[in-house]
Amino acid sequence: MSSEKIQVSPEQRAKDDAFLEDRKQKGTERYIVRHSKQARITHGVTIIACILLCISGLFVFVPPLAQAVGADAVFVVRMAHRVIGVVFVAVPLVSAILAPKGVAHIFKNLFAKWDSDDKKWMLLFFPYLFMAKWIHMPDQSEVKSGQRFADGMLWFSGALMGVTGVIMLLGSTVFDLDGGVYGVVLLLHDIGFLLIAVFGLAHIFLGAGIFQPYRGTHKLMFGDGMVSESDALYHWGHWARKEIASGEHVVEK
Amino acid sequence: MSEKAILFDTSRCTGCHACQIACKCWNNLPSPTGLNENKFSGSHQNPPDINGTTRLIMTYTENEATIATKRVNWAFGRRACQHCTDAPCASICPAGAIYIDEATGMVTTDDSKCVACQYCSTACPFDVPRYDGVQGKINKCTGCVDRIENGMAPACVTTCQPEALDFGDRDEMIAKAEERLANLKARGYEDACIYGVEEMGGLHVIQVLKYGVEAHGQVANPQKSAVTTLTEIMKPVTGVVSGVTVLGLAAMFGLAAGYKRDKVVYNPETEDTVSLITGDVVQHGDPQDDKSVKEHITENLPVGKKGGSHE
Repeated sequence: MSSEKIQVSPEQRAKDDAFLEDRKQKGTERYIVRHSKQARITHGVTIIACILLCISGLFVFVPPLAQAVGADAVFVVRMAHRVIGVVFVAVPLVSAILAPKGVAHIFKNLFAKWDSDDKKWMLLFFPYLFMAKWIHMPDQSEVKSGQRFADGMLWFSGALMGVTGVIMLLGSTVFDLDGGVYGVVLLLHDIGFLLIAVFGLAHIFLGAGIFQPYRGTHKLMFGDGMVSESDALYHWGHWARKEIASGEHVVEK
Repeated sequence: MSEKAILFDTSRCTGCHACQIACKCWNNLPSPTGLNENKFSGSHQNPPDINGTTRLIMTYTENEATIATKRVNWAFGRRACQHCTDAPCASICPAGAIYIDEATGMVTTDDSKCVACQYCSTACPFDVPRYDGVQGKINKCTGCVDRIENGMAPACVTTCQPEALDFGDRDEMIAKAEERLANLKARGYEDACIYGVEEMGGLHVIQVLKYGVEAHGQVANPQKSAVTTLTEIMKPVTGVVSGVTVLGLAAMFGLAAGYKRDKVVYNPETEDTVSLITGDVVQHGDPQDDKSVKEHITENLPVGKKGGSHE
């Protein structure tokens, strides 16, 4: 959305002025509900589990770290890794079973067809990250095109980690996994870790609002799940206008 | 101390299992003692394969006779760690629990460091390191480095009555193997060969295989697997890529310092998006963007045609 001034008819201008005056009188701000409580809890538990899994996994993945703390400490960390891994896999699954429509909604958005604004947004994304002060991004639907790609990669790498982790856990406890197969599964687990590291770091940087233009976005998942009208228009313009026009998920406070 | 090796001459082996038992005894490794507790392998091979508490087994393979004087080629084999010079189990072990003993070249272990990740099991081209679920450790032949350091031969070698096993400097063992190979060839064993001189950078178990490589259950042309190589590469790659990502994000953070933008609101009645600060209408309706990517990048640059910024 551009910040350039646009000329409108005097009649329209008068209506906009009245609208602004009304908003001023009310002294409230509009918010759009974006994430349900269940989605926020699932996200919160999963992200904590994911961070703990990354940290505990490093004790096997990074040889100097394993050697520094010793075998007994690594053993405890490995066992913790397994327990947390079960949480990481089970919580989203239980949540998905409890809210299948929510899952369908997520995947519908992930695989939504890209329109011209989506394509342009993606092309502008990397220049924007380094020149956010000067580049205005095209409006976006409920999930930005880049967000769809990054979220998709997080879903994929999370699933990859979950599936390979469960196979390795069962392969060393319930049944004896062949060494060659174990090696392939371990490699896939390591690839999943690389993807989680890269996309997770970027996700935290943007989603937690560390990046200045994204300030406040942490409230969407770690707050009340609502986004202010202004931020919604900045990040997801097409979606925000539809939501405000319908008023269904709009809260004034 | 010079590089050492165990020599195994299959033509002298009587398949008595003494080496297997000596290994168990010296290393205090338990065996199942219940009636028929070990599965029958269909041959004298018992247990059927090495496992978490068995580091060495004798293998027995029966093949069609290739020598006129024999009714069957009964090939005895030795299945245990081959002590590779280029040992992938040692290079992939994150804990330093498997390492190459510099004095002897034997691939030995330090149980106290094992974190039971089983990376070594996945890396071994001979499928040797085995997980001992009770101890929570990996088990494999250590080359009896503790004995060698005290002037003794490995336990399996010491006990071998027909002298099929020998131990000494690697060069000396290779020379002995060549002598015995020549002898076998002269007796008509055309498929006889020496195994371990070049494989995996040179093994520290040199074998004289009377009936050829496969007949004695050995791996022809063992190689470090591509999966192992990729797994080793993944560590530095992940480190570099993550580091670059963090640096990139830090640069983005630095460049966006001081960023601010006007608050905007949307008037559904007029379909205008209006700045709360200036009152200007910044967008009408909800159209698809009509600017080019280049225009987006250059339109607000402080040194560009139009100048200005968010600030």
